[in-house]
Amino acid sequence: MMRLSGRLRSAMIIGGQGIRARKLRTLLSMVSLFLGVLAVVVVQAGAGIAERLQLSDMELQNGIDGTKVLYGVPSAAGASQAVADTLKGRQDAVAMFSMNAVIGEPGVRPVNEGGAPFDQDWGGVQVCDASGRCVDENAGKPKGQAIELRITALTGDIRPFRPYRPKSGQWLDFTTTPQLAPRLVLNEEAAKGFERYHVPAEMRITGAPHNMTPQLIGVVKDGDSQPHAYLRLDELTNWLPLDRMTDPSSGYTDVQVALAGSTPVESVLIAKLKALSGGADMSAEPINSRKEMEDQLDLMRVIFLAMASLVLIIGCAGVLNVGLATVGERVEEFALRRAVGTPRAVLAGIVLAENLVTGLFTAAAAIGVSVAALKAVTVVLGPSEPFLQGVEFPWSAGVSGVIAGLVAGILGGFIPAIRAAGIPIATVMRA
Amino acid sequence: MTSLIELAGITKVLKGQKEPRTILDGVGLTVRAGESVAIVGRSGSGKSTLLSVLGLFDRADSGTYTLDGRDISKLPERHAAKLRSSHFGFVFQRFFLLKHLTAAQNVAMALVNGQGWLPRRERRTRVMQALDQVGIAHLAKNRPAKMSGGEQQRVAIARALVRDPRILLADEPTGALDTETGTVVIDALQEATTRGCALILVTHDRDHAARMGRIVDLQAGVLTERVPVLAGAGVDAPTTELPRIGGPA
Repeated sequence: MMRLSGRLRSAMIIGGQGIRARKLRTLLSMVSLFLGVLAVVVVQAGAGIAERLQLSDMELQNGIDGTKVLYGVPSAAGASQAVADTLKGRQDAVAMFSMNAVIGEPGVRPVNEGGAPFDQDWGGVQVCDASGRCVDENAGKPKGQAIELRITALTGDIRPFRPYRPKSGQWLDFTTTPQLAPRLVLNEEAAKGFERYHVPAEMRITGAPHNMTPQLIGVVKDGDSQPHAYLRLDELTNWLPLDRMTDPSSGYTDVQVALAGSTPVESVLIAKLKALSGGADMSAEPINSRKEMEDQLDLMRVIFLAMASLVLIIGCAGVLNVGLATVGERVEEFALRRAVGTPRAVLAGIVLAENLVTGLFTAAAAIGVSVAALKAVTVVLGPSEPFLQGVEFPWSAGVSGVIAGLVAGILGGFIPAIRAAGIPIATVMRA
Repeated sequence: MTSLIELAGITKVLKGQKEPRTILDGVGLTVRAGESVAIVGRSGSGKSTLLSVLGLFDRADSGTYTLDGRDISKLPERHAAKLRSSHFGFVFQRFFLLKHLTAAQNVAMALVNGQGWLPRRERRTRVMQALDQVGIAHLAKNRPAKMSGGEQQRVAIARALVRDPRILLADEPTGALDTETGTVVIDALQEATTRGCALILVTHDRDHAARMGRIVDLQAGVLTERVPVLAGAGVDAPTTELPRIGGPA
């Protein structure tokens, strides 16, 4: 143990002397290696951040991992009311009643029929009756200043389950008294439509006996490519009876309930809905977006790691080149060290120690640059890209950088180390 | 007195040429502790090769090499490295000091060689003692570039002495020095023999050889004992028998 320690210490001391004596060569080795290690660190950090970005995009539409979602609330009489009554005032479960609405001139064909994105044309919307005969819903109507969009009425704040990112204005306030003029929060696509087309503030929903005048109060990013608006359920029910919201004849309607992972509301709600629908089987499904995208992320990571490895190998070749040149310059030193009793293994250890220390310095530099760059990006872009807020340098990227530096040091120093160990002592006799 | 080194029938043949060339041809040599031996001979006669074999830098093709009664003719390299560290000190014609290290660090090189470990304080003490033995302790912090040739060679001697070797091998240590400085260096080497260290000196300088206890002559790979010299006895040795370099034929 003592002997090993002595050898290790000797290699470290002599290696340190070698680095101090050849600062320029050490710097050249570091430059060769820097890009390779930086590539590994950036790929690892980038993969972590990309995962976060992709996950945050998926969370917008699917919900935060761990959330449970109850899909397909039955259209049976009283089901919508049961959902609204059960979830009223609750924060651990929120119901979303979705349907189509048209805002703008009455009796015209909307500029985006069917609620299509404004740069796409989905064609006319066909409505089919029970016999299967379909007709164009807007047949004979002239094209006018009206926008069709999807609206979702909420029983409470959905953002703990779907973290919509505010873009402008404000989000729905569920603590105030409901207003007669429903307050709408638009998604970005809907906001684009209202910016492009000046439409009258009159909103029509199939099944509603009267048209309403909405108020636009804010814009959020919700990950939906269709124009979409969110409003309070209690403001919508002033105009549209709850049962009509789930009536299939009212057009394409949908009810979902987002539930916290372990809320007791789940079993109560399901029991009520089962009773109303005559025992139909239903259950809430947990959201696991991270698992769903793992394969995709793994593939991306493998591709980037392969590229980073290539850069790292080129860096190793640089280190190898510098290392061999250095050993060539130090032939007499190594021969002399062997003459004074330094074992071959320690000589190899000296060269490896120098390369390992260089690799570690390089890794530290690459990690430092990455941390600083990430900090700069979050400071500069953070305010406009909320997903960047609070992003921290992933420790796994730091570990990867250190490992890459050490591996590159070993790979780049291996052949010079073998060469150093093989220098004949007689070199000093012949000099 | 028992012998420290015994060479018997040492042969070394240089291969890799058209005709293999015999460098050492059945060399036999006995050296006792505290003894000083000069090896003389013309250039290319095999002196440095003999020193390489003695210092375990190289291995003889045949013959036996006994050190302290132990046959080390076929010693594996890692054991040879250990013996070089513990038993031998080397001084070369070119001083081989590392220019980026101070005199003290150059001397410490022989202690920081992976053969055991000495705490820093003890290392420093031994280094300073070695530098003091050769009279240059005051230059401990100087780098080689700031020292004269004689001072540099004395640092090299201190490096050879710092582990208290039993055998000191010196390969033309005064070859790059003027006569006066060379004498100082030989003084420093001979000083070591008073502490029981054997000194084997390869030299072309007859005056320095004459100061050794014995002179052996290596000619065409064959070693012959030359004139015994009574060092310090006031006897003027017949140095004319030593080979000469240059001068009138």
